[in-house]
Amino acid sequence: MELTLKTSDLVEELSVGQGAVEKKTTIPVLSNVLIEARAGEVVLTATDLEISIQSSCPAAVKENGSTTLPSRRLLDYVRLLPDMELAFRVLENQSASLTCGRSRTRIAGMSAENYPELPEMPAVLTHIPAKVLTNAISKTSFAVADEESRYTLTGALLIIREDSLVMVATDGHRMAYFEKPHKFDGISGEVKGLIPKKALAELSMLAEKLAAQGDESLTIMVDFASDENHLFFRCGKRLLVMRKLTGQFPDYERVLPREAGMSIEIGREEFMAAVRRVAQFADERSRAVRLELEEGQLKLIASGSDAGESEESLPTVYSGDRVQVGFNSVYMLDFLGAVSEARNVEIQFKDEESAGQFRIPGEDSYDYRYVVMPMRV
Amino acid sequence: MDAFFVSVEELADPTLKGKPVVVGGKAHERGVVSAASYAVRKFGVHSAMPLREAYRRCPQAIFIEGSPAKYREYSRKARKILKGFSPSVEMASIDEAYLDMTGCERLLGPPLKAAHDLHEAVRAETGLPCSLGIGCSRLTAKIGSGLAKPNGILRVMPGAEAAFLAPLDIARIPGVGKTMQQKLRRLGIRKIGQIAQQDAGFLADRFGKAGLALAGKARGEDAGAWFSAPFTDRETPKSFSHETTFGEDTMDGALIDATLAKLVQLTARRLREHRLFGRTVQLKIRYSDFTTVTRARTLDSPTRLDSVILRAIRELFRKNRQRGRPVRLLGVHIGSLEESEGQLPLIDKEQRQKWSRALEAADALRDRFGESAVGLAAALRHGRRERVHENPAVSAGKENLEKTETAPNRS
Repeated sequence: MELTLKTSDLVEELSVGQGAVEKKTTIPVLSNVLIEARAGEVVLTATDLEISIQSSCPAAVKENGSTTLPSRRLLDYVRLLPDMELAFRVLENQSASLTCGRSRTRIAGMSAENYPELPEMPAVLTHIPAKVLTNAISKTSFAVADEESRYTLTGALLIIREDSLVMVATDGHRMAYFEKPHKFDGISGEVKGLIPKKALAELSMLAEKLAAQGDESLTIMVDFASDENHLFFRCGKRLLVMRKLTGQFPDYERVLPREAGMSIEIGREEFMAAVRRVAQFADERSRAVRLELEEGQLKLIASGSDAGESEESLPTVYSGDRVQVGFNSVYMLDFLGAVSEARNVEIQFKDEESAGQFRIPGEDSYDYRYVVMPMRV
Repeated sequence: MDAFFVSVEELADPTLKGKPVVVGGKAHERGVVSAASYAVRKFGVHSAMPLREAYRRCPQAIFIEGSPAKYREYSRKARKILKGFSPSVEMASIDEAYLDMTGCERLLGPPLKAAHDLHEAVRAETGLPCSLGIGCSRLTAKIGSGLAKPNGILRVMPGAEAAFLAPLDIARIPGVGKTMQQKLRRLGIRKIGQIAQQDAGFLADRFGKAGLALAGKARGEDAGAWFSAPFTDRETPKSFSHETTFGEDTMDGALIDATLAKLVQLTARRLREHRLFGRTVQLKIRYSDFTTVTRARTLDSPTRLDSVILRAIRELFRKNRQRGRPVRLLGVHIGSLEESEGQLPLIDKEQRQKWSRALEAADALRDRFGESAVGLAAALRHGRRERVHENPAVSAGKENLEKTETAPNRS
C-alpha cells in the first residue's frame, strides 16, 4: 500500500474517528485505526465494538492495500506536521513509513486481517434533517442515566414515525422528551432504537459537522438505516454504526403529567442566574433548592447546609395559592442550559409530591418537555 | 449493664444464675462469644473469643444462641428509665450509656444519691443488675463503672482523677487495644500512672495522635476520637450493619445469594425501625484465608427498601468476588443515613410504593410474631440466626459498638 494525501485531511478524519477508538487495551487491535487505500481515497475505520465510525479522505493511491496503526499516536504525530503532502507507505511487518517535507517517521502497526469487520449498512430507510438530530440530542442526552445498574436508562430512545421524530431520555428521577413533527418518507409505523450515551455524543458531533456545511434550513440530511442489532447514520461521507442497547425502556408516556397545575413564565437568564447563586448554599449531597410560588413572585431558597442559607425572589405573574416544592438545582440548570434559544421558560407544578414540568413557552415548531420529580426538603 | 445478655437470659431461665453461661452460639460452632457470665469469665472466657476456644477453656459452660430482639427491647426499657433521670442520655452501645447530670442536683440530690436511685430504678423495672461510675468526664465514669462491676457504684471525686487512675493497669484505658498495650509494656509502662508521668511529646512521637489522646486519658480527660466528641443524646445511628460467618466456607452461589438477601433484609429492617434512609451500601467478603474485601457504592438516592439495597449488593458481589475462592464471611453495611429520601423517583414510583407498603406490613408482622414470621423468598435458603455483641469488657471507640447495629459511630 502506497499513497499520498494532505495532512490536514488526515488530521480531520482521524479526529472524527477518535471517539470510537477503544480506550481500554483488552483487545490491542481496537486501539488502532484501520486504513484502507482504494481508488482515489483512503478509508479510515475505528471501532470499540459498540460504536464504529468510518470516514474517508481523498488520496493519490499508487498501490491499494490496508493496515492498522495506533490511532492516538498517529493523530498526535500528524497533527504536528505542516499542512502539506504526506507520503504514506506500508513496509513489511505492518509498520508504515510517513514522509512529509524533511520529516521521516516509521510507525509500528498491526495486520488489518485481525481488525473486526463493520456490519453492512442495509438499504436506507429514511433521511433525517441533521439539525433535527442535533437539537434532539442536545435537549435530551443530559438526562440519560450514568448508573450502570439501570442498564436500559443508559441510553436515549429514538423513535421515527411517518410524521415525527421522538427522542426520550430518563435517569429515573427526571425525563427529557423531544418531539419534532416532520414527514419521514419510507417509514410506515415506527422504527425504534435505544442509543447509548456515548453514541449520542458521536452522532451529535457528526451531524453537527455535516450541518455546518449548509445553511440554516433543514435540507441537509443524515441517511438512516437499521438492522436487528444496529443503527446506521450516514452523515455525508462519514458513517456511524452503533449497537442498539437491548431491553425495555420505561413507558415514558405514563410519566408525562396530564394536568398542568400552576404555571408560570419566567426569564430564562434571570432564573438561571438566581438558581446558580442560591444553589451555592444547597446541601452538598442533595443539591436541593426550594421553589416557593406565591402571589406575584417566585422565591428560590437553599438552606440546610452548614455553609449558610440563601434566598432570592423573582417577580412573576401569579395569583393562585401558595405552593412550594424542592428540586435538584443541577437538574434545573441542565434544562436551562439546553434551551439557550429561549427567552422565557415555563414552569408547571402541582404540589410537593408530583412531578414538575419545564417547557419553552410559545415554541410550536417542536414539542419539548422536561419532567422532574421533586425532592423532599 | 452487668453481663447484659446473660442477665437477660437469666430472667427467662433463673436456673442459669451463677452458672458459667456463654451467649453467642453452640460450643462447636464457628463464630464468637457475644457475652460471658461472671462465672465463666473466671475460666478466661471473654466476649469476642471464638466459641470453640471458649469451649476448650470451659467445657461445662452452658452455650446459648441468644435473642437479639429481646436484648434490644431491654436496652430500650433501660434507656427510658435513664431518660427519667436526665434529659441528656447518650447510648454508647446496646448496654452502655452516659448521662449528663449537670444541673440535676436540686432535683435528684447529690451524685451518689442520684446514682443509688437510678441503680434501684433499673433493678426494680427491668430486674437486671447494672453498675454506675460517676466522674467529671465520660472516661472516668466509664472506668469507674467497670471497676464497680458487678452491681456497684463508684464515684471518682473531682480532682482525684489522676490519683484514681494511677494504680490501674493500662488495659483499663478505653481505646488501648492489644497492640498498644504491647508497645507500652515494651517501654516498661504497665500502670496508667506511668503514662501520666510521660511527657506528651514522648507519647506523640511513638503513637502519633493516639499518643496525645493517651496522655489526656491518663489524666482522666475525655480525649481521643470517641471521647473528645461533644456529648450527644442523638439517637440517630450513623450506620447499620449485619454480617455472618458460614458454618463451613462455601462457594455455593445459591447459598451466598440467599445469605446476602437475608443480611440485606435485616439491615433494611433496622433502617425502617429508625425511620431513616441509607445512601451508601457496602459489601464485605472474607475468604477462607481471612483476606477481607470491602466494596461500597453510593446510590443515586437514599433508600430503605430491601429490593433496592439487594440490587446494589448483588452487583457489588458480582463485580468483586474472586472466583474459585471459598467465602467464609459476608457482611452488609448501610451508611450515609438521612432522615429523608430526598429525590423522589419518576419511573418506578408505583413499584417503590408497593414495596414500601409490603415491607411496612412485613415489619408489623415481625413485630407481632417475631423476626422469622415473614421474609424475602430469596433469603429463605439461609436459616441465619441473628447475633448481637455486647461490649467487650474494657475498650471504647470502634470496638465498643453493637455489632449488628452500629450505634453512634464517631470513631
